[in-house]
This record gives sequence, structure tokens and C-alpha cells, in this order.
Amino acid sequence: MSDKPRILVVDDEAQLTRVLRTGLSSRGYDVRAAADGLAGFETFSDWHPDLVITDLAMPNMDGLELCRRLRAISQVPIIILSAKGEEKIKVEALDIGADDFVTKPFGIDELLARVRASLRRANSQVSIEITQTVLDAGDFHVDLESRNVTVRGREIRLTPKEFDLLIYFINHSGKVLTHHTLLAAIWGGDYVEQDQYLRVFIGNLRKKLETDAEGKSYILTEPWVGYRFQPGE
Amino acid sequence: MNLKGAGYFGAVVGTTVVTALMAPFHEQINSTTVALAFLLVVLFVALFWGSRPALLASVLGMFCFNFFFLPPLYTLSIAHPPNWVALTAFFTTALAVGQLSARARRKAQEAEAGRREIERLYQELQAVFERASQAEALRQSERLKSALLDAVTHDLRTPLTSIKASITTLLDEVRGRSPEEPLVTLDSESRLEMMEVIDEESDRLNRFIGGLIDLARIEAGELHLRRRWGAVDEIISTALTRAEPFTKGHEVEVDIESELPVVRVDERAVSEVVYTLVENAAKYSPGIAKIRISAARSDDGMIKMSVEDQGEGIAVDLRERVFDKFFRATRDGDISTHQPSGTGMGLAIAKGIVEAHDGNIWIESATGGKGTRVVFTLPVGDEEPTEQAESSAPLASKL
Repeated sequence: MSDKPRILVVDDEAQLTRVLRTGLSSRGYDVRAAADGLAGFETFSDWHPDLVITDLAMPNMDGLELCRRLRAISQVPIIILSAKGEEKIKVEALDIGADDFVTKPFGIDELLARVRASLRRANSQVSIEITQTVLDAGDFHVDLESRNVTVRGREIRLTPKEFDLLIYFINHSGKVLTHHTLLAAIWGGDYVEQDQYLRVFIGNLRKKLETDAEGKSYILTEPWVGYRFQPGE
Repeated sequence: MNLKGAGYFGAVVGTTVVTALMAPFHEQINSTTVALAFLLVVLFVALFWGSRPALLASVLGMFCFNFFFLPPLYTLSIAHPPNWVALTAFFTTALAVGQLSARARRKAQEAEAGRREIERLYQELQAVFERASQAEALRQSERLKSALLDAVTHDLRTPLTSIKASITTLLDEVRGRSPEEPLVTLDSESRLEMMEVIDEESDRLNRFIGGLIDLARIEAGELHLRRRWGAVDEIISTALTRAEPFTKGHEVEVDIESELPVVRVDERAVSEVVYTLVENAAKYSPGIAKIRISAARSDDGMIKMSVEDQGEGIAVDLRERVFDKFFRATRDGDISTHQPSGTGMGLAIAKGIVEAHDGNIWIESATGGKGTRVVFTLPVGDEEPTEQAESSAPLASKL
């Protein structure tokens, strides 16, 4: 049983944890549920799951606080279950380090797809190291020393900031990156309120990457939240 | 301009009249009286029309005083030197009186204008305050509305989320899933569980919507009762039968005073109230705790019914707010039970029903200080056989 990926579901809504437990178990996951953040955190400490799915509004300890506590001790992927109307707190959770979100009500497929992506990313993260001089991800090939970028074999010329942004995207492929996170990572903490900076740079980067990409989108917009990078393949 | 003209005219007329009245008798009247009469004209002109007409009155007065009253008469020369003094004194006094009283008049006018201005400002300020407080009330009511909307959407979306997740799990099995997933079939137990969730959550949605309709009716004052004669014990037993699924583990004690009079109430609605209270008692107290239902005549001729539990109780400052719609004293949803959580409408509806019967509902500490006792009263209602609004708008919900 130990080879099954472990998923911890944290939600105060008993009926939903019941469904998720059954739905995820039937797909070969080992699932446990907790009714609030506190119980979730305790289960996490004892059981060490590979992924956490959490609701935001819960008694005792809410999802935001749970994310904060989990990030203090672990890099476990966290998927947030949020409802419309909770955007602000959702973005906050993503800023803290949650990986992805699903908006209620959701189909089980959507959740499963996010679960797979998050687990895959978590497993591959080990292979991206600073010692590497070449990044290969989907359609992208990046030589870190010569700062040479090719997309589907076509060479692209990027400004230094665009290059940094692309590397950051590749290293966090598939993850939802908030405006706040991207600004802090590329421009530093003083710029975290300058959304328009980011919009301009993303626009330019998109133009360079996505012309000639046969309608493919690499940088996806998550409305009101941020961006998600999909390297293709 | 007009006013100024009137002032000069007044000065001329006043002086002329005094002169005309006094000149024929200048022998009998001494010059001091004449001078004072002219001064009086100056004073009036100054008070009514201001300083310039008063100046004219002074000059005319001096002229007439000299011409008609100081010898030699009908000349502008003066025979006795003391009359020079009198004339000069008259003119100086007239000038001073005119200027001073004109100034007093101006001051009074200014004060009056100031007072009007203050009054206008005050009224304006009051209007602004009024508008501001209206805007604040509006803002508050908007805030309340949006909080209510949040509560409602949350309660609608929560069961929907479970239903959607269940149904897509079942659908996936039928349709086949994405190529990345290993082919796993649900065992029959899981399938049953998914369907149970869908069933229960659909009921929960329906209950919630029924509750919303009841609340809307109560708030619009459209909750029409079908009053009939009925027995209290029957009403209670109907409610208890319905509540059985919740009260299974509990010890339920019913204490109805013997020879209670029959009541003229909407039995279904009152039974709904009892049911809501019993369900709450079961939900918010430990599994084996006692629930006590009682009915008795109270001193003021009402029937007093109560439902008491041994749960945690409700803090004194929340005892009124729990009757507000969508207010929940605790958030339930224990993972170990499949008990759907409350809607925050039960007590609000109960209150609406009780008040529609001209009764009252409130919360007390239970006997022994532990737990909650919800009490409500109903009038015995022994007269008035008129049936009111028989068929309109029955309760929609079975909470």
C-alpha cells in the first residue's frame, strides 16, 4: 500500500470529503480526510501525505493558516478548493505557496488533472538543479550559460528580464504563480504592487514565444490571480 | 435707488410738514421745541432710510429753523448772537443723531442678515447630515444584503459541490476516463455511496430553498395561517415522529400538563416549530443526552411550550441573534457523521410562525444551568371563529 500516492483532504463539509475519499481512492490514491485545519495539520505530521487538498473556510484553523503552517515545514503540493467570492483569500493562499486551486463546484476530472499535474511537478522538481547548464522542458530548450533560448527549434532573442521570467516560469511549470509572486521573484520586493510592469513583460514574452507556435499558448492567464506556464508536450 | 429716492422725499416732506404745522404759531412756541421737532424728523428719516437722507433732513431742518423761526423771520440772517449758538447746536446734534441712528439701523440690518445667513447654513447643514445618514443607512443595508447573499450562495453551492463531484465520478466510469488514468471501476459500495450523497444533498438543497421561500413569506407578511382547533399533545407527537431519525440515540422526555385546553393554531406550522427545536436539540447536544419537551398553561393565559437539551448551551449575548436569518451559533459538520449541517433558517422561521400566532419565542438556560431551553408561547384563542385566508401560501419547507 505504500506505493500509492497519499492524499490528505481537509474540508469541514462531511459530504464532500466522503465523495472525494471515494472518488480519489477509486483512482488508486490512498486518501485520508480531516474536518478542519488543525486536524489536517496533525494528520499531515503523522502520515506525511504526498499532496494536500484543502478548503479555505473552516472552523478551528482555516485553509490559509494551514497553508502557512505546512509551508513552514514542507514543500508538499497544496491544492485549494475555493468558491467564487473567496478570490482574495485564494490569492493570499497562492502567495503563501499553495500550488493550485479548483473552483467549487468542480468535476472530479478537473480535480484529478490538477492532482496529477501537482504530483508530477513535485516528483520532477528534484531533477532541476542549479548545477544544470541546460534546461529542457516541453518545447523549450534553454542554455543557461550562453543564455540561448530555442522554442521548437527556433531561436528566440530575449531581454535579460524576459530571460529571468522565462527561467522562473520553466522552473515552476504548471503551477499557478500570482502577480505578487512573479514580481517579487523577478523584480524584488519593492515592485510587488506594480501589476502593469508584469503585464507588459508577459505581453512581450508571449509575442516572442507564441508567434509561430501554431496557436499554442505557453503562458496561460488565471484571471485576477496570475499566470500558469505550460511548456507543451 | 427707489428706496433712496423715497428717503430724500421723506426728508423733504417731513421737514415741510413740521415747518407748515409750526410756522403759523411761531409766536407761541419757543425755538427749543421747534428744534426738537426738526430733530425728530432727522431721527425718523435716519431710522427708515439711512444717513444720506438724514443729512438732507438736517440741512433742510437748519434752513427752515433759521428762515421761519429765528428772527429776523423770512431771512437767512440771525439777529441775536445766542441764536447762532442755538442754530449751530441744532445742526451738530441733527448731524450726530442722523449718523448715529443710521449706523444703528445698518448694524441692526447686518445683524438680521447675519442671523438669516446662519439659519440658512444651519438648514443646509441639517440637510447634508440627513443625506449623509441616509447614505450610511443605505450602505449598511447594502452590506447586509451582500452578507446575506454570501450566506445564501454558500449554502446553495456546498451541496452542489458534493453533487457535482459525485456525479462526475459516476459519469467518468460510464464514459471512460482520460488515457492517463488507469482503468478503475467503482465497486458497488462506492457507487451506492455516490448516489446516496447525491440523494441527500438534493434533499438538502430542496430544504434550503423551501426555507428561503418560507422566510420570504414571513418577511413579506404573507404567512397565512390555517387556524383550526387542535390538541397540543397531537402537535407534539407529530413533530416527534418526524424528528425520530435525529433523536434515536437520545432520551426524549415529554411532559404535557393534564387538561390543557385545545388551541386554535395552524397545527402544521406549530408542529414545524416543535420539530425544528427538537432537531436543533438533538444536533447540538451529545448523542445520549436527554431532550425534554414540555407544555403547560402559563399565568397569563397562554400555552407555554419548551424544548430543552443538555448541550453546550448558547451564550447570553447570542440568544437573540440565533433568531436572525442565516445566523449560526456554531458551525457544524463533524466528519464522523453524515449529518447535513444547518441552514441558519430554522429558528428564524420558527420565530416568524410563533409571532404570526401572536406568541413569543426566546431562549433560556436549561434547568441546572447546562444546555439550552427554547420557550415559546401561544394564545389559547377561545373566541373568533372566523377562518382567515384558508388556502393561501402554506409553508413550503419541511425543515
